Amino acid sequence: MRTIRCLVFAALCLAARAGENNSFLLRNATVHPVSGPAIENASVLVIDGRIAEVGPKVAPRGKVKIIEARGLHVYPGMIDSGSPIGLAEIASVRETVDTGELGDFNPQLRALIAVNPSSEHIPVVRANGITTVLATPGTTAGARGSATSGLIAGQASLVHLDGWTWEEMEIRRSAAMQMTWPVIQSGRGGPPDLESLLPGLAARRTTFAEARRNQQMQVRKIQDFFDAARRYQKAKAAGEAIPPDLRYEAMIPVLEGKVPLMITASREREIREALEFAAREKLRIVLAGVRQPGKALDEIARRNIPVVLGTTFVTPLEEDDPYDEPFTLPAQLHKAGVKFCFASFGVQFARNLPYQAAQAVPFGLPYDEALKSVTLNAAQVWGIDSEYGSIEKGKFADLIVTDGDPLEIRTQVKMMFIKGAPVDLESKHTRLYKRYMARP
Amino acid sequence: MRLLIPLLVLSAALFAADVTVIQNGTIHTVTKGTFKGSIVIRDGKIAEVGEKVMTPAGARVVDATGKHVIPGIIDAHTHIALDSINESSVSVSSMVSVEEMLNPESISIYRALAGGVTVCNSMHGSANAIGGQNVVFKMRWGADARGLVFDKAKPSIKMALGENPKRQGSPQGLQIPGLQSPQNLRYPGTRLGVEDVIRDAFTRARAYQREWKDYEARKARGEKALPPRRDLELEPLVEVLEGKRLVHAHCYRADEILMLLRVFDDFNIKGVTFQHVLEGYKVAREIAERGHGASTFSDWWSYKVEAYDAIPYNAAIMHRKGVLVSLNSDDAGGAELMRRLNTEAAKVMKYGGLSEDEALAMVTINPAKQLQIDQWVGSIEAGKDADLVIYDKHPLSIYAKVEKVFIDGRQYFDRDEDMSRRPKLEAEKEGLRRKLQDQQKQAMPQNRRPS
Amino acid sequence: MRKKFPATMLAALAAVLLAWLPAPAESVSWTAIRDARIVPVNGPVIEKGTVLLRNGVIAAVGAQVDVPASAWVIDGTGLTVYPGLIDAMSTWGLPQTAAAAQTASARGGQQQPQQQPPQQQAQAQQPAQARSRGPLDRPGTFSWVKAADLVQPGDARLGQARNAGFTTAAAFPRQGIVAGHGAVINLGGKTAGEMVVAPDAGLYLALRPSGYTGFPSTPMGIMAYFRQLWLDAEHYRQALALYAADPVNIPRPPYDRALEGILGAKRVLLPAADPVQMERMLKLAADLKTPAVLYGVVRGYEMAERLKQSGTPVILNVRWPTRERDADPEQRESYRELRIRDLAPTSPAALAAAGVKFAVSSDGLETPRAVLRALKQSIDRGLKREDALRALTLSAAEIFGVADRLGSVERGKIANLVVADGDLFDEKTRIRMVFIDGVRYLPEPELPQTPPGPGGRGPTSGEGEEQ
Repeated sequence: MRTIRCLVFAALCLAARAGENNSFLLRNATVHPVSGPAIENASVLVIDGRIAEVGPKVAPRGKVKIIEARGLHVYPGMIDSGSPIGLAEIASVRETVDTGELGDFNPQLRALIAVNPSSEHIPVVRANGITTVLATPGTTAGARGSATSGLIAGQASLVHLDGWTWEEMEIRRSAAMQMTWPVIQSGRGGPPDLESLLPGLAARRTTFAEARRNQQMQVRKIQDFFDAARRYQKAKAAGEAIPPDLRYEAMIPVLEGKVPLMITASREREIREALEFAAREKLRIVLAGVRQPGKALDEIARRNIPVVLGTTFVTPLEEDDPYDEPFTLPAQLHKAGVKFCFASFGVQFARNLPYQAAQAVPFGLPYDEALKSVTLNAAQVWGIDSEYGSIEKGKFADLIVTDGDPLEIRTQVKMMFIKGAPVDLESKHTRLYKRYMARP
Repeated sequence: MRLLIPLLVLSAALFAADVTVIQNGTIHTVTKGTFKGSIVIRDGKIAEVGEKVMTPAGARVVDATGKHVIPGIIDAHTHIALDSINESSVSVSSMVSVEEMLNPESISIYRALAGGVTVCNSMHGSANAIGGQNVVFKMRWGADARGLVFDKAKPSIKMALGENPKRQGSPQGLQIPGLQSPQNLRYPGTRLGVEDVIRDAFTRARAYQREWKDYEARKARGEKALPPRRDLELEPLVEVLEGKRLVHAHCYRADEILMLLRVFDDFNIKGVTFQHVLEGYKVAREIAERGHGASTFSDWWSYKVEAYDAIPYNAAIMHRKGVLVSLNSDDAGGAELMRRLNTEAAKVMKYGGLSEDEALAMVTINPAKQLQIDQWVGSIEAGKDADLVIYDKHPLSIYAKVEKVFIDGRQYFDRDEDMSRRPKLEAEKEGLRRKLQDQQKQAMPQNRRPS
Repeated sequence: MRKKFPATMLAALAAVLLAWLPAPAESVSWTAIRDARIVPVNGPVIEKGTVLLRNGVIAAVGAQVDVPASAWVIDGTGLTVYPGLIDAMSTWGLPQTAAAAQTASARGGQQQPQQQPPQQQAQAQQPAQARSRGPLDRPGTFSWVKAADLVQPGDARLGQARNAGFTTAAAFPRQGIVAGHGAVINLGGKTAGEMVVAPDAGLYLALRPSGYTGFPSTPMGIMAYFRQLWLDAEHYRQALALYAADPVNIPRPPYDRALEGILGAKRVLLPAADPVQMERMLKLAADLKTPAVLYGVVRGYEMAERLKQSGTPVILNVRWPTRERDADPEQRESYRELRIRDLAPTSPAALAAAGVKFAVSSDGLETPRAVLRALKQSIDRGLKREDALRALTLSAAEIFGVADRLGSVERGKIANLVVADGDLFDEKTRIRMVFIDGVRYLPEPELPQTPPGPGGRGPTSGEGEEQ
């Protein structure tokens, strides 16, 4: 049975390459729409790449391929809300990393155009059920090859993990404007006990007061930049003859509220300042990398600001923090009524996105919320939920077929469809596996 | 941390019964099957394990109904709880020992414990072709450094191949400003040089061995002779040659793994575990032929050029080709991955189709064998140390949580106790803060020191 | 007519003449402090008594002492006489560049910090040394350096130290990891030679790289290096002995000043702030087969039992940890930090209760007076005054093997005394004078303090210093 399924799927893949319309009927599976409860013995009918019907007893319409999925599960393809996919290949080699351009303000940069469709990461990541990624131009933590991190890194783009070119991969060119809220960096001159014995060492250290001043200067710079962008916007709207400035041009959709500002702010202080800034400037924002919201959590909830969480796979920040603190953060957000989704913020472990969400389940996050956080919530946060994020009539058929819960480690993804087209789940890894298993 | 001990010891004392019985759980022995049963712990050892056991009167009973019990997890590659990890100034740093830097107050020990780890091999770093001496210890949170060390474990030494040990050998590699002048470059700068450093070191060790034998012989003949200068760099290497010290060799590429295999053949070195060994799957046969072990990541790749061909099927391929394989975390700063080794183990079921027991073995009996401590730990068998972990769900599920951890029969972690302790800790801290503020105010008038 | 002077008359005349003649060149100078309260430390307090000094040595102490007529008498009414205080781990009297060399970064001089006081800058501009590639390069090893050879009588800090009641210091060189031999020195004297009481206080060892680049770059590397160094010293000794017995057949071992310096070490001083480091150092000292004294001890309250058991004396760091002045207000200290800040001042009492021999150090404190203030805090938390005083006097002398000459107001000891108008640890008490080798020193004007560096702990002026 399994081999027949594989053959059918392979045939489908070939058919897709040949350019046939993306229509099929997935039959007799357990369908998990995410927008509603799971449906057993159900089917999904896909016509021209869109979901036409979902439910038990769905009849095939016209000449569509039948795909038997008995004993399997159908889920929406998962969405990674922040990763330099295609922009970074080997972290330690700067030549292969294109995040983190020089300069403080680069809103005109677009991640999309440098997404390498031939990156080995793309097949590897999608093999675990991720169909969509928000490709981000900013630096990611731990990338030794990356340069300085600016304040506005550029436009993040939503891409499908399939396509001959980045144009074919594109879902939304400018899905978010990536910004980092300045952090107070007070550094020591040396280890504390040595500093105490040798005042010269202490003299080298940046005091908190100085660090705070530096940070406030950065915040001021941001304010000034936004002011200048608004002046440009006004002048342009009034029809004045001003020399074009690509940077300010790129800011206009943000100022108009059409493109959300994705602000990286991890701790309470930065979050509070970012929230105040957004309120003052009347901007639509998403908070990314929230880590220790503290008392600002209620404020985030009150203002309905969505949050992009990074990995749960980190250690607690403070020595005295509960050992499970990073695992309980998603549940805290859920309890406070904050909508959140997950991002890998990297490439190496991007395929483990579902596990970031799953890890929070034993520590208080309801399972359904975990599943939503890598599917429907993400689609809603980026404003593509009318077409993606769940298995509902009318939406695009970004689907995965699995032998179990995709958030559980053991589960295998058997099939994937992006806009109804079957996607090859082979990768460099599967090829090397087969090759070296066969070595005599 | 010792300072938290008052509260923990109090609760531990309550649990220090002579006999403990873990009752009616699903017991994953790893070596002798999985079944619903119980475990009797006496004097720190597993006295009995089976579907039905004799529960002595007065025994403390831990009800494990609906829970799962596995042997304590063993991480064969970490760098936690060390105040200093890498003596990177020289290419052969065999004279240093990380055991001297073991810090029993490191919170990483507790966090690893809370993730089910009971034993770990904490090692010297990988900036040297031949590194320093490692330490195997148990997560006996609250003990001092001596009390942590797993005394019965054989000593071992670290080695490293590939990009790390040659990084300081070329100007591009040195990223520390001010250190890029030619006189600061450190040989070797290529993989060729890495082999040379290793062969040279073991050759010198052999010569040193001979020197001492000659001296002993002359002394036996009654001659007056000056003993050779004792060389702390060479003595651990002599121990390797004599089979008294194990080797953990960090390596990535297939060609360098093969190179090291041949070096070990030439010097007749056994007791080797290759670490990371991300391309081990390409030379699995050669590794298996010699009975060396391999300890690797579940799914790391692409972070360095030499990791670009790493695949998550590595462990499964090597295992199927007959290599003794374990999975590790390489945790250095904090205990992060090591507390999730159960889910790391589960990945070999996904990538390679291994069975549940094979997966569990990757983080229990296999690393125990690699560290040559399998006589005492690594599976749930009568006679072994009572190092046990109780999960609330199947241990290979990401939805499972550690509830209790026993080491040598003594309970070192209890999730309920940990959670009830949290408000008490906050209250104590608040009290201390206020007390210190008052003290500072009192000292103020005389001090006239602005604060 | 010839008169004959009778012999007795001649003798009488001679006696009268001699009585009027000035004393011969080898004079005896007597000083007496009379009617003072005396705290000898080695015995009970004498509420009203006299201390008699003779040629720089204490000649007599007691309630009833015969004071020679020629003595210079100081009225001790209302005053208390203590033994001169001893700073057990000091840099007083040594040139500041040698002492402060470690500010040139923990990695040995390569990184240039932005702001650096000039004297430290001079130190940082050392000629580029070859990188150490192993133990044979003897990195940071200055075992032949002796503080006794470096003493500077003109050090401006000496006056400040005396003002606070200090008469003696165990001063150690601090550059490198084997920094050299310390010396017990009196904090007054016309020449360096006069100041040195014992030139072999012990070998100062540090566990942070300084004064070199390369190996060893970590504390564990340093510990391995020390072991190798001591083995080499032992091997050197054996080679020398063999050579002496058979110079014909045994090759002559080359002279090695570093190893000579190791062999001559009476004791080693090792840093141990907390129990974990203590265990490491105790093991190291055992491997080096040399008696050790632990310095820089902070968490003495947790180390007392083990120290007692191992018989290891300790030099306590009395710069009680406090919240940094410029700390991030939203940063919360850990429980561990809070506990240390709370309990550190109780270390002296804990050590005293356990019977551990301990002294105190001025290291890290801005003024010598701060040492007494720090101990006062401990007294407020339960330390007995006599234990505090003993740490500052007799215990320090015992640790450095000079208790036969210093540390108490006892007949036969060097006349090092501090005379105050009240209890030494009371804030209101003023130090009236100190005696060093029997020479009296009155308080000097306080030095202007250096302005605080950015973020540094600026010492205040106007601390209420009296004249």
